[in-house]
Amino acid sequence: MLRFSIQRSTRYFSTSIPRQQQHLTDVAIIGAGPAGLSLAAALKANPTTKSLSVGLIEGSSLDPVKNFSQSPPENFTNRVSSITAQSVDYLEHIGAWKFIDQARIEPFDNIVAYDGLSNSRIEFDNMEMGTMCENINLQSCLLQRIEELNDPTLKIWDSTKVTNIANDTDDAANGWPVIQLSNGDSVKTRLLVGADGFNSPVRKFAAIESRGWAYDRFGVVASLKLKYEDYRSIAWQRFLPTGPVALLPLPEKNATMVWSTTPELSKLLVGLPEDVFIALANCAFVLPQVDLNYYYTLAQNEEYDELLSDIKWRFENYTSKPTIDIEDFPIALESVIPQSRARFPLKLSHADSYVSNRVALVGDAAHTTHPLAGQGLNMGQGDVKSLVESLELAMKRGLDIGNLLALEPYWAQRWPENHVLLGVVDKLHKLYSIDWSPVVAVRSWGLDVVNSLPMLKDFMMKQVSGK
Amino acid sequence: MSLLKNYPTHIPIKGIDRLIMGAACFFGATLHPENNNYITGIGEITAFEPVLTRIRDSMLSNKVGRQILRERPRITSKTLDLDYLKSLPPDTFGNTYYKWLQREKVSPDTRVPVHYIDDEELAYVFQRYRECHDFHHAISGLPIVLEGEIAVKAFEFANFGLPFAGAGAVISPFKLTQKQRTRLFDVYYPWCFSNGLNCKGLINIYWEQQMEKKIDELRRELGIESPPPDMRTLRKMDGAKKIT
Ligand SMILES: Cc1cc2nc3c(=O)[nH]c(=O)nc-3n(C[C@H](O)[C@H](O)[C@H](O)COP(=O)(O)OP(=O)(O)OC[C@H]3O[C@@H](n4cnc5c(N)ncnc54)[C@H](O)[C@@H]3O)c2cc1C
Repeated sequence: MLRFSIQRSTRYFSTSIPRQQQHLTDVAIIGAGPAGLSLAAALKANPTTKSLSVGLIEGSSLDPVKNFSQSPPENFTNRVSSITAQSVDYLEHIGAWKFIDQARIEPFDNIVAYDGLSNSRIEFDNMEMGTMCENINLQSCLLQRIEELNDPTLKIWDSTKVTNIANDTDDAANGWPVIQLSNGDSVKTRLLVGADGFNSPVRKFAAIESRGWAYDRFGVVASLKLKYEDYRSIAWQRFLPTGPVALLPLPEKNATMVWSTTPELSKLLVGLPEDVFIALANCAFVLPQVDLNYYYTLAQNEEYDELLSDIKWRFENYTSKPTIDIEDFPIALESVIPQSRARFPLKLSHADSYVSNRVALVGDAAHTTHPLAGQGLNMGQGDVKSLVESLELAMKRGLDIGNLLALEPYWAQRWPENHVLLGVVDKLHKLYSIDWSPVVAVRSWGLDVVNSLPMLKDFMMKQVSGK
Repeated sequence: MSLLKNYPTHIPIKGIDRLIMGAACFFGATLHPENNNYITGIGEITAFEPVLTRIRDSMLSNKVGRQILRERPRITSKTLDLDYLKSLPPDTFGNTYYKWLQREKVSPDTRVPVHYIDDEELAYVFQRYRECHDFHHAISGLPIVLEGEIAVKAFEFANFGLPFAGAGAVISPFKLTQKQRTRLFDVYYPWCFSNGLNCKGLINIYWEQQMEKKIDELRRELGIESPPPDMRTLRKMDGAKKIT
């Protein structure tokens, strides 16, 4: 593990070995994930902020992102996010969306969310609900936009880790952050932006507290093939007591899933033989909880033959009931792309502030959420938009962009908005974790009521799609 | 919902009709306990969907229960080879069951098909319960005189939680003599409730596949104690009159 100095009073001394350079930037961004790349592109696309010199530092190699446009991988990668219409608008605005690989994204105009215990359901349909897009496709379009802008005052260091951050004076209120890079160089910056994800070294350097909790759940992701193409373009989400399982559309017969479940089950799901995983995943969208529980036990005991033959019987038997309409469920899954299964711990966290002197946080560095509403990445895009606007305004007023006066409008605008969203998603997760029947009955009734009230649905949908 | 048949013997009835039918069966059964149609009618009407669903879910949570739901075995004189059961050693479950059928002068075919339960799978669950009823008699050694019937119902109620079985066990004792009632409460109820509650789920027993097993061994496996004192013998000692 890397250790980051959080002592802002530590004076930074450049070492005397000559080939180690100290660079100077107006804005140093740590992290070239969706948030960091978007910020770099946005700063350079904006007529006012483009005069700022920018350094972008990323620990891992950006080669996969660079190669994506020329030789995209044959199969879909497993990190896929739903991009809201609002985020797409912004990406268009900064001139990046035109570089998105159109053949690998899938817009959807329906969301079907249903209760795993009562099968009560709510359906939203509207043009431009969202677009399913691989994270790497998004990163690639942003990088292409940066290349198109071809601005010599933007410098990218990839495969370069930040090993330490310190202040250049003992006086934290006036000092500039100095970033120590793993290649021996250092970067001194007027403004340091942490787009460095959940474990944000920048947040630790700025001693900003982040509050929240782990959900004791993991999200299992996988790239999947459907039996045949689903022309309905629906994002499916079924709320099981262990967590929601979502099936999201990709072009042709492709789909991606996020199956939130307990740590033990997530580990099991990632390790199951492929055919067993697919059979179980199909059950997760259709069969009652009692069957799923039985199958989990069989899977844990590695009784795979028994599991497959039982599923074959039960699926047929259950879906032939007159009360069950197979049209109400997703198209059956056919296979999982080898090695595409992975799991991520899910947590809620929110930083107490997004800014301090010469520091700003964007994206997962500032907040993380349960993926059930598909908002994490989009919140980061919202942050970027707001931060760039604040910096633009500050420059027009002649303020130092690292000054708290320049940064505070950003956090004043974003923090409350994000806080509400984090809260709603958190409550949803909790509500649907309950399997006590009176609660199931009330929430199902609630869902049925909402489903029958178009106006309320429109309102909720505007919140989700960000429009 | 449509009134289409969900399985061959299904008679779809809805809402208020269901209530009326329940009431009619209840009065019919009190006035004419000898008419089996009323009794079975009450059974189906009171086997509320949630209760049957719970029993079905307990089957779905159990390997053998699932196997039964999958294979849907039926118990008739065609599916059970009575001659074979007769030929089994006397201490086997199969032979005990055979002897019980002989002594009580009944046959596996005296069971009525299910009519009024809408879900086809739940209808099977209830049918299965009905068809296994005689096995419950055999394993507990209780006769089908009213008194024995009440005791088996208590045993089943404790094990399945079926309201019909429960109601039968609670209401019916009023039709007994004082002596029979005392015997029921002192000897049979304690046995029935403690064994019904503590033994394995009877609905998940594939009885047809236990025929060759020694009955004592089967009882041990299921967690059932040795049967209560033979009711017919006790009744003879008391000189009680046979009711059914
Ligand atoms: C299962 C799952 C499903 C999801 N689905 C959705 C969805 O449908 N829609 C949605 O909007 N969001 C979704 N999200 C959330 C989304 O993935 C994240 O919010 C988003 O990726 C965060 O982007 P980011 O750029 O802020 O951070 P990250 O993508 O975490 O990027 C941080 C970057 O910083 C770099 N870094 C960190 N430390 C250092 C260091 N010391 N030196 C150099 N570099 C460093 C890292 O290498 C990394 O590249 C999902 C998340 C999960 C787990």
